Amino acid sequence: MDTSTVKIILQILHYLFFGYAFAAIASYIILSVISGKETIEYLKKNSFVNYKDILSSTMSPSITIIAPAYNESLNVVENVRSLLSNHYVNYNVIIVNDGSKDDSLEKLIEAYDLEKVDFIINNKIKTQPIRAGVFKSKNPAFEKLMVVDKKNGGKADALNMGLNISKSKYVACIDVDCLLLEDALQKMIKPFLEETNAKVIATGGVIRIANSCVIRGGKLIDVNLPKALLVQSQILEYLRAFLLGRMAWSRLNGLLVISGAFGIFDKEIAIAVGGYDTNTVGEDMEIIVRMRRYMEEKNEKYKVSYIPDPLCWTEAPDSYKIFISQRNRWTRGTIETLKKHRKIGFNRKYGAFGMISYPYWLIFERLAPIIEAVGIIYFVILLILKEVRWEYALSFLILAYIFSVLFSIIALYSEELTFHQYKKKGTGYKLVLLTALEPFVLHPFILYAAIKGNYDYYFNKKKKWGVMQRKGLTSA
Amino acid sequence: MTAYQYLIDSFNDAPSLIKFTWGVSCTLFGAIVILTSYLKLIRATLRKRDIENAKFREDYESTLVEYLYSGSEDEDMNDLQESIIEKLKAAVHIKPKRKIIVSILYNLMNEVSGEMSDSIKVLYFKTGLYNYALARLENKNWHIIAKGIGELTRFKIEEAHDLVKPFIKHPRLEVRKETQLYMVNMFRFNGLSFLNELKTPLSEWAQVQLLETLQKFDDQQICDIKPWLKSTNETVVLFALKLAKLYNQFEVKDTLMELLSHPVKEVRVMVIEVLTNLYGIEAKEMLKANFNVLSLEEQIGFFGLLEKLVVPSDEPFIEEHLFHKNFEIQLLALKILKSINIDKFMGLSNPPENKENKKILKFVNNI
Repeated sequence: MDTSTVKIILQILHYLFFGYAFAAIASYIILSVISGKETIEYLKKNSFVNYKDILSSTMSPSITIIAPAYNESLNVVENVRSLLSNHYVNYNVIIVNDGSKDDSLEKLIEAYDLEKVDFIINNKIKTQPIRAGVFKSKNPAFEKLMVVDKKNGGKADALNMGLNISKSKYVACIDVDCLLLEDALQKMIKPFLEETNAKVIATGGVIRIANSCVIRGGKLIDVNLPKALLVQSQILEYLRAFLLGRMAWSRLNGLLVISGAFGIFDKEIAIAVGGYDTNTVGEDMEIIVRMRRYMEEKNEKYKVSYIPDPLCWTEAPDSYKIFISQRNRWTRGTIETLKKHRKIGFNRKYGAFGMISYPYWLIFERLAPIIEAVGIIYFVILLILKEVRWEYALSFLILAYIFSVLFSIIALYSEELTFHQYKKKGTGYKLVLLTALEPFVLHPFILYAAIKGNYDYYFNKKKKWGVMQRKGLTSA
Repeated sequence: MTAYQYLIDSFNDAPSLIKFTWGVSCTLFGAIVILTSYLKLIRATLRKRDIENAKFREDYESTLVEYLYSGSEDEDMNDLQESIIEKLKAAVHIKPKRKIIVSILYNLMNEVSGEMSDSIKVLYFKTGLYNYALARLENKNWHIIAKGIGELTRFKIEEAHDLVKPFIKHPRLEVRKETQLYMVNMFRFNGLSFLNELKTPLSEWAQVQLLETLQKFDDQQICDIKPWLKSTNETVVLFALKLAKLYNQFEVKDTLMELLSHPVKEVRVMVIEVLTNLYGIEAKEMLKANFNVLSLEEQIGFFGLLEKLVVPSDEPFIEEHLFHKNFEIQLLALKILKSINIDKFMGLSNPPENKENKKILKFVNNI
């Protein structure tokens, strides 16, 4: 290749990187504008709603909360108490003890006065078999609770067991260590009941970070900003993702993921598609994509809804090791899901789902870390070859940084004008400061975890969930 | 100075793209500075507002309680009450204060009844809150109208009926729903007359709210629901079916029988459920005869009906479906057989060679 050909190739590469960055920024701006509109519409719609009637009505549809638990002995009793304190009338709780090696089951039996009951399970979805049995409380105060002890099969398998057992029309799949606010169920069920033009197949909620928050008796008492920079940065990241991203996808009816920490599903559809996939680490995204695909192929009008209220609070990783492991898993889950359902991508038959949602996830979620890593390597090569044109590099780098800071500040704005959770004096200053630090404190690790996730997906097939060590919310 | 001049010269000599990039960066940076300052202001304002609101709420809660308990039977309004009304009149001009007063009054309204409830209503009128609610009905924003109707509903203001009624045909679903709730709250079953000509779907959310409202009243005298059961709007039919179930409407059994052949599956399934509730034994033979052409949901529903209304003569039919391929039907069939003929059930020692069947049989045997 002569010099001019190399120059042309380099030029093309420059334009490709530039074009990608421009498209990514444009998509963020467009999504945040749509999110803003959707949030305003949501707030207007709910400014006069009387949730009390739904709350107390026995005519309201039944919901089963399914919470898989694996070695959760430390907090399981308190966490179940929190799940049982919901204000919705027509609901029950199924705790699926997924082959825990610790004394979770014994603790539950003791705390809730459980006894083994005769129970027959309709195995609509194949799961690992029952181990110790099905338990219900002798105490009428805990009549809503059922504990199922089964052989270990992973989170997806445990959720499938819950789907088989549930007799309700809707199921709320949650992580057992999540703290649900008392009005969570009635707010999340509303989209299913009020939509008349399409069938709502699932509703997702915002996940908030509970580290350092004060929780007593399964209730959120006080919201605090954690001290660890890593956790603070995740708060900012969640605000951006949920308030400026998912609201827009909800409006476009293009949501591809509902957080595994908290989502409500139409049980009939979830079972019709075969339940959760036990062969992926991204079962929360995969089931939504499969449910959507099912509805598209049946040619039925449907919707995946999203509620911006802070209804579910969870513990975020506070060590880089666990954080990287979590993001590694998310990356592998995304790759697995997109690969499994590649038929949808750029396929007109699937409408906006195939032509907008899937391509967006593929280009701006799946490929983003790879493109970024390639960009960094390319920059290093240019640096070694002393071919960096600093006037361009510097100006683009600064622009990208300033944009990311501004975008985070807009997310903070959105939070302040809507749900205003971090009220304490001095918190605002810390959060603004964080918008400047987060690109250095969090982003490099997200990138590293995503690249590692890609590597593990292709070269380390044995890697599965990884361990999420929890300190527990109750002691916070 | 030299460094500054160097920067200026470099910028002037730079290519247009770089100039543009720096221009955008500076603009965005300016936006960050402005937004950060404004964010600080917003947070401070919100904090201050929260403190003020809490204080105001505390003050006015005690004032309003004082108003309620200072009334006497022999006079319309005493001096203390008059002075409280004047105080409130001055406060309701300010929107946030008005909002708080309305919320306190509403909470009080839920806690008291009879004369005190009437007294709150009087206060609602005398302080001018009623006029503010009416003004909301004239607002061009749909959600303000809905809020206005919601407020009138909560305070049970029948006087606004003529002004609220036209909103039953409002283009926004939310406004229509609030109007429907208003009508039912004010006029109970008579308020459901909008169902006669309802062309748009009645959401399940609205249905639950309407039913809950109706159940709050002591008077359980229900109106004729037959016309709604025959409605061309399937959501109206579903709502009427819920009314039939909730209020044990035995007199509509004939209409329910007709609805067993309704074109919408959801309606047919619901009809079976209601008939089960109403001991609709008449439906049995018809459903038995058509069992094989029913949808799976209807078949399961029918076995639910049989579980409640089974008689020994149903045994041959039950026997036919003892090992139905559907789990629920199989389970129900075995349970029913056990209840009507325990000997025959105990004699089922050789079910088809299927592990699941054996499991179900064992389970039913144990219960």
